[in-house]
Amino acid sequence: MGEVIVITSGKGGVGKTTATANIGTALAALGHKVVMVDTDIGLRNLDVVLGLENRIVYDIVDVTHGNCRLKQALIKDKRFEGLHLLPAAQTKDKTAVNPEQMRELCSELAKQFDYVIIDCPAGIEQGFKNAIAGAEKAIVVTTPEVSAVRDADRIIGLLESAELRDPKLIVNRIRPLMVKKGDMMSMDDIIDILAVNVLGIVPEDEMIVVTTNKGEPAVLDNYSRAGQAYRNMARRITGEEIPLMDLEADTGFMNKLKKLIGFK
Amino acid sequence: MKKAKGSKAKTLFEQKEETDIMTGETPDIQNQVTEEMPAELASILDLEVGETGNRIEFEEGEKVPVPEKLSFKPLVHKDPWQQAFVDENTILIKRTVRSGQSIQFDGNVVVLGDVNPGSEIVASGNIIVMGALRGVVHAGATGNKEATVSAFKLQPTQLRIANHITRAPDGDYLSPDHPETARIKDGIVVIEVYQLGQDRQTKIC
Repeated sequence: MGEVIVITSGKGGVGKTTATANIGTALAALGHKVVMVDTDIGLRNLDVVLGLENRIVYDIVDVTHGNCRLKQALIKDKRFEGLHLLPAAQTKDKTAVNPEQMRELCSELAKQFDYVIIDCPAGIEQGFKNAIAGAEKAIVVTTPEVSAVRDADRIIGLLESAELRDPKLIVNRIRPLMVKKGDMMSMDDIIDILAVNVLGIVPEDEMIVVTTNKGEPAVLDNYSRAGQAYRNMARRITGEEIPLMDLEADTGFMNKLKKLIGFK
Repeated sequence: MKKAKGSKAKTLFEQKEETDIMTGETPDIQNQVTEEMPAELASILDLEVGETGNRIEFEEGEKVPVPEKLSFKPLVHKDPWQQAFVDENTILIKRTVRSGQSIQFDGNVVVLGDVNPGSEIVASGNIIVMGALRGVVHAGATGNKEATVSAFKLQPTQLRIANHITRAPDGDYLSPDHPETARIKDGIVVIEVYQLGQDRQTKIC
């Protein structure tokens, strides 16, 4: 039986879909059988981020309504053998699926895959309730902004009341220099408020924009700092002990010099 | 229709006569598609099987996704000459079809505007887009293999005609500036330069 993990945040635009795509791809790169489920019905993005949009024939709504078999709707990734996507519908809305159907779907997928990663929509309404219905574990994504942390706190509360204990935290888009100057919330500040275990921290990385637009996850880029962060997270999910990334490493003079002359 | 040598043209949609272009890049396309498949759908989504393939298997009796109900009331003219012009139902959509919007119609669909990615047009007849076609279209959805898709800029996410499903190849490909038409020719979906009124004679007389 595989693990069903939901990636959620409450607030929009903090990087749920990017995190899903990258963690899923990184897990598949480690040799696991992974399926990513997009539950953002009506505003699907995961297929675009993965560059699989033009392969969609059936979607999650077709599966839950019995218009097709589960196997027909699963899209095989073009890079990794063990990576699959179950896309969301674009022309329907969140009410097209109910939590009971999601539970059924997740248990069916968990039989076939090592990891079922669910990309949750923003908000705390029906879409969120659907996404967490079948999950066993939760990952909460936030950015070092007061509003995102506030929403993450609300989400953690909702997850706990839905019996999803001990969610893990991803802090996305950290700018070490700004933290140093005291202009941005530090990891300590965030953990102080949320009081949960950290799965990973992701430094701000312009390459994410490039890779997302190209439809290729950042984890495939060996030079991307964010990609490295997501690769580490995937290994932590599989149970390895890896220390958190040292964000300061990139800011020293020598490192800048090395980067300049192409050593890094 | 000339293509830059070595460019990754829209190989999936290529004209059949120009087989020389298709060599090298995707040699098996035609075999795969013309092959008689037991099911209703000849899927060419799995061109690069094993690598990018998403084989969609259809069992006996299963059909390509088609909207359950398409309402259709044909117009009837007393004058047979008039009737020749209205033998098919057509709707005109005077706006851009945006992501998440779906148009399903029993007849022809003409769009005066663009069809954006994430949107969907399903028609039992032909689809004509007077603008850029970037979404998913399904012409001849109830099984009409004569149906065509025409657009000023034919760059669909996915293009379906009757029981054929095609998509553009991965990577960059040439996108010409002239209007194009997609149709089924000898069992495969081909893209041709749009020709003004090529069916005019056969349709009416």
